[in-house]
Amino acid sequence: MTDDYSLIPTSDSRILNSHFHLPSNPQNIVFLKTGVSMQLKIWHKMIIGITIPSLIALVGGFLTYGYINDVKNRQSFVQLADDMKEHILEVRRNEKNFLLHKDIEYYKYFQSSVSILKNSLSNISPQTVTEIGEDNFSRLRQSIQTYSGSMNDLYVQYQHETDVVEKVREDGRKLENFVAAKRSPGELSMNFILNLRRLEKNYMLFRDKGSYNALDNALMQIKNIIPFCFECMPYIEAARDLSEAYNQSDLLINDLQVNGEGLETITYKIASLERQKINSFLGRTHNLLLLALLLLCTLGPLLVYKTATYIVAPIKRLADITKKISEGDLNLRAPLKEHDETYSLAQSFNTMLDHLQLTHQSLERSLELLHEKQVEAEKRASLGFLVSGITHELNNPLNNISLTAETMKEDLNEMTLEEMKDYIQDILSQSERAKHIVGDLLEFVGTRKTTVMEKLDIVNVVEESIKLVANQLRVNNINLKTNIPNMVFFVNGNASKLEEVFVNIIVNAVHAMKDSGTLTVCVKPDNGNKNILIEISDTGCGIPEKELKNIFEPFYTTKPVGEGTGLGLSVTHSLVTKHSGDINVRSRVGEGTTFTIKLPLYEETV
Amino acid sequence: MPDKLRLMIIDDEPIVGKRLKRLLEKDGYNVEAFTGGTPALEALEKQHFDIIITDLMMGRIDGMKVLETAKNKNPDIKVIIITGFGKKETADEALNKGAFDFIIKPFKFEELHKVVKKAETELKAKDN
Ligand SMILES: Nc1ncnc2c1ncn2[C@@H]1O[C@H](COP(=O)(O)OP(=O)(O)O)[C@@H](O)[C@H]1O
Ligand SMILES: [Mg+2]
Repeated sequence: MTDDYSLIPTSDSRILNSHFHLPSNPQNIVFLKTGVSMQLKIWHKMIIGITIPSLIALVGGFLTYGYINDVKNRQSFVQLADDMKEHILEVRRNEKNFLLHKDIEYYKYFQSSVSILKNSLSNISPQTVTEIGEDNFSRLRQSIQTYSGSMNDLYVQYQHETDVVEKVREDGRKLENFVAAKRSPGELSMNFILNLRRLEKNYMLFRDKGSYNALDNALMQIKNIIPFCFECMPYIEAARDLSEAYNQSDLLINDLQVNGEGLETITYKIASLERQKINSFLGRTHNLLLLALLLLCTLGPLLVYKTATYIVAPIKRLADITKKISEGDLNLRAPLKEHDETYSLAQSFNTMLDHLQLTHQSLERSLELLHEKQVEAEKRASLGFLVSGITHELNNPLNNISLTAETMKEDLNEMTLEEMKDYIQDILSQSERAKHIVGDLLEFVGTRKTTVMEKLDIVNVVEESIKLVANQLRVNNINLKTNIPNMVFFVNGNASKLEEVFVNIIVNAVHAMKDSGTLTVCVKPDNGNKNILIEISDTGCGIPEKELKNIFEPFYTTKPVGEGTGLGLSVTHSLVTKHSGDINVRSRVGEGTTFTIKLPLYEETV
Repeated sequence: MPDKLRLMIIDDEPIVGKRLKRLLEKDGYNVEAFTGGTPALEALEKQHFDIIITDLMMGRIDGMKVLETAKNKNPDIKVIIITGFGKKETADEALNKGAFDFIIKPFKFEELHKVVKKAETELKAKDN
């Protein structure tokens, strides 16, 4: 651990980074830089997100409104054109009536309808004029002017014509009277004159070429009959004037009709032009509206979606990072990308993480220290246990030796030789006992010189071990059951050490069973034929669950002094380990215990 | 009260009892040795003892149990504890429970002798 380890939390992440070698985040700086250009708060983004689609909708609405208004306006132009047509029809009806009746009444009607037409024309707004088209309008105006002008001409002509007709009739009557008075040369008969007057009436009735020719022929005949007939002259003159007047009138009528038709054509043209305009306009509007709708349908949701993700993105990033951090990576930091409300959130979150990481690290350190201390304490405790075991186990034989020697010293004179021999034997056996304990201890610690390993038959070793304890089994009234295959299984080992292993376990079993029970010894290879298993079971007192972990500890014993030193199983364990084997125990209090020793089978390559 | 004090020796190793009995009898005490706590407690039920010398670590009935039982029966009895392993806490516990003294193996007989003598003096003083 570093010496400069500090428990003082600091919110300066730069110091933190250098201090704890956090992965430095160069992106931070970039984020800050870009942050300046996009300092939009979430509510700004929301307003933008809501405003843009609304604006699109609003623009679409306004456009539609404008178009509809326009259409309405155009409708009024069409209305105007229709009205105009109506007026013109009226005018033309009056024209026809007048032409039919040649009556002043109808002339007046005509005039009033023309002035209505003119009125309505002068009421047209300049906007409408531009809409219709300046030249169209002036043409319309012009042709109305010409039309009413030719009507006036016609009217004047009609008056003139009436005068001429009067004159013809008067002169005709005069000529008739003249012939009737027989003042004319005899050739001009009454019949002729009457025929002439009939032709005159015909002409006036039909006003056509044929009747005029007939009349003219008759008039020519007068000249043939009387080359110089003064009384005839005015009549002939008047008839000629009549023809002229009629021709003039016909010309004017023709003019009038042509002009009327022209007027009608113009009006129709304007109306149809307007209709056409409306139609094309409607088509355009229709397309535009469709386009707006399409835009609103596609762009609207897209925009809303974009804005939503734009708003949610930093929050989502924060959530993602939080999740990752909660999964354990305390080195991660929330990116400081957007300068909105999440910026300070991410900042405080990172500061919190810095603190958390600091605390975490200091906690880890404390835990490590605590653990070290605990291990130390455990070591001390086990050392104490070991020392107390050694002391106790050695002090007892020492005490016995000392007491025996003291007694001898005290009573030497009174002692028989036999007694003395006994005492010396005691001293020797107590010394042996002490030596044995020290030997076991060295075996456990593993400082004894390396045991010689050789290829040997484990079945044989097991059988020899059983022989060694056979007497003890008999004395304690214990049944022996064996399940040992009639085969050889070789292991790499030391026979006497392995014997010690089995004897230790069997002696423990005997102790556990007191003076009745069954000992079962079973030898079998394991599944893969790689190991040999030796199972030694008893029907003794069993070992409580919580003691199981202690039984392999040196000096752990539940037996009185002399019966057990607590070294048996610890030595057994170290011996089995030395043979690359394994020892396991299963036990049930009151039912018995089974020790299983697993040893690797001998391989020729070893 | 008879002149000779009655001593009880308890140790689960018979050799201890054998040796101490011989040595203490020479000092003029009436000594009985027991192997293990169980036979000792049985004897304590039936007979009177003045002083008990007991090992601490013994099979099921250990020295502490003997001490408690004996003190319960006769508060005046002197119990001397001998043990192969001297742990301060164990000694304190024994003394708290009324043990007369605490001797650690291996010990010189002289040591034990002195303690027994002291106990005898105290017993005598109480009698008078
Ligand atoms: N087969 C067994 N049945 C019951 N308890 C056993 C058995 N084997 C060992 N033990 C327990 O394990 C302890 C330790 O055994 P060991 O190391 O051989 O020491 P010792 O036999 O000297 O006590 C024993 O005191 C006993 O309590
Ligand atoms: Mg044992």
